[in-house]
Amino acid sequence: MESLKALLSPDSLFRNSVYTSVLIGFACPLVGVFLVLRRLVFMGVALPQISSTGVAVALSLPLWLGLKPDATSAHGMHVLAFAGALTFSVAAILLLAFMERRGRGLPEGRLGTAYVVATALSILLLSKNRYAEAGWLDMLKGEVITISNFDLTLTAAALAIVLVVLGLFLKEILLVSFDRVMAVTLGRSVVFWDVVLYLLIGMTVSMAVLSVGPLIAFGFLLIPPLTAHLFARTMRQFMIGSALLGGVMSFVGFWLAYQLDWPVGPTDVVLLGLVYALAAAGRSLWIWFRRPVR
Amino acid sequence: MNEPLITFDNLAIGYNNSPVLSGISLAIARASFTAILGANGSGKSTLLKTLLGLQPPVAGAIRVAAPVVFGYVPQFTQCDPLYPLTGFDVALMGVHRRIGPGRRVPAAERDFTRECLRATAAENFAGQKFAELSGGQKQRVLMARALATRPEVLVLDEPTAGVDAAATAALLEFISQIHQERQLTVLLVTHDLPLVRQHAQQVIWLHQGRVLHGTAAELLTRERLAEIFEMEVS
Repeated sequence: MESLKALLSPDSLFRNSVYTSVLIGFACPLVGVFLVLRRLVFMGVALPQISSTGVAVALSLPLWLGLKPDATSAHGMHVLAFAGALTFSVAAILLLAFMERRGRGLPEGRLGTAYVVATALSILLLSKNRYAEAGWLDMLKGEVITISNFDLTLTAAALAIVLVVLGLFLKEILLVSFDRVMAVTLGRSVVFWDVVLYLLIGMTVSMAVLSVGPLIAFGFLLIPPLTAHLFARTMRQFMIGSALLGGVMSFVGFWLAYQLDWPVGPTDVVLLGLVYALAAAGRSLWIWFRRPVR
Repeated sequence: MNEPLITFDNLAIGYNNSPVLSGISLAIARASFTAILGANGSGKSTLLKTLLGLQPPVAGAIRVAAPVVFGYVPQFTQCDPLYPLTGFDVALMGVHRRIGPGRRVPAAERDFTRECLRATAAENFAGQKFAELSGGQKQRVLMARALATRPEVLVLDEPTAGVDAAATAALLEFISQIHQERQLTVLLVTHDLPLVRQHAQQVIWLHQGRVLHGTAAELLTRERLAEIFEMEVS
């Protein structure tokens, strides 16, 4: 209990990191729900990594342009990195979705290649950037260390936009996801609503990668929705359950990592995996006990 | 025969500018019941997709006498069971056309959806998870969804595929009943010749690149079937 108080005290170095983790843990599953429903789980693996390549490219830009690091403020760098992450993730999701709709080639092959090339490229770019702070490499490995008030505000604002747009247009996004033909006969533009969803996914992934790194982003995009899906009987239960699970687990994970002096990212993801395994086993047992006795 | 509602004018349908079928010229009368028959790959689904505006014609045109609302009933197998939606949630999608983006579904539209579920005898299981319903129950929910669009034309794409014989007969009986009660124009894709003979007035038969059009009584005779299949029909 004392450690919890220390973690959340106003002068705690980690307070903003906890809040950011919880925000990401809450928001990522809300868009991750659609990656699961549209059977785009592999996209959820590749996107955070591609987004982190966007961060690496954006951070390398000043170096390529011959600017000194002090020419751009820390806030300016953060915004630049966000723009890079957003550009890369939205471009990637649109391109991959377009290729998927054309129905040619092997989607898993494309996603696998995109994932591994993006991982290698982002590490390569940052290792060759003599101005890159060690913190950026930590971030790409999934370490949440210190997050400024500006970063926290930017994260909260971006995620609030995602939440509002998703709340307002959920029925349109759900319709085009569930039954595209029906959506067209009802006069809905499938392409438009797909782009809206992809922008929301891109924005959330970018914010998550920038704040907590691709490892946690991937974990929170997919594992809470997969866990909640085991029990959800309605979309409302599915979305609220996923978001709550993500939010609570991010907090518990952070606290555990703080207590045990473990890295936050891997702790969060392992905890999520453990909860998923326990939930799946519990559900199987429940079904087994309730089976009709002959 | 009623006035033509939909006219296919020298229509060619297909993908990537390669026609699967061409030279389709026929009219579908308002309030008629038309069955579309043909083997797998004959172009039935392509014809439906072109009619619904999902893909452009390769050549020719589809003329509709007035703007119409299509009520579309897919095969239940096309609905992904991964979605945690109740039967009611699925049926409610039918009212989306009348509600602007970003607006909540008003209570009146929810009540209307319940009426549609009642009309298709799906009310009792509408609260259950759609993925857990039987084939016949799912098809009834999808029918309710199509009715919730307040359609002028009901387009049914093999609605009885994967549904047992008793449920198939009940579904077709129901489609026939609402066709008569609501004066709906019905376009039904199916493989079930006896049911077509029983319920459809017009038949469009897609066979080896040819399009045969006529009344059920004309096309579904033993002689015409033997001619179409180039074999003896018992």
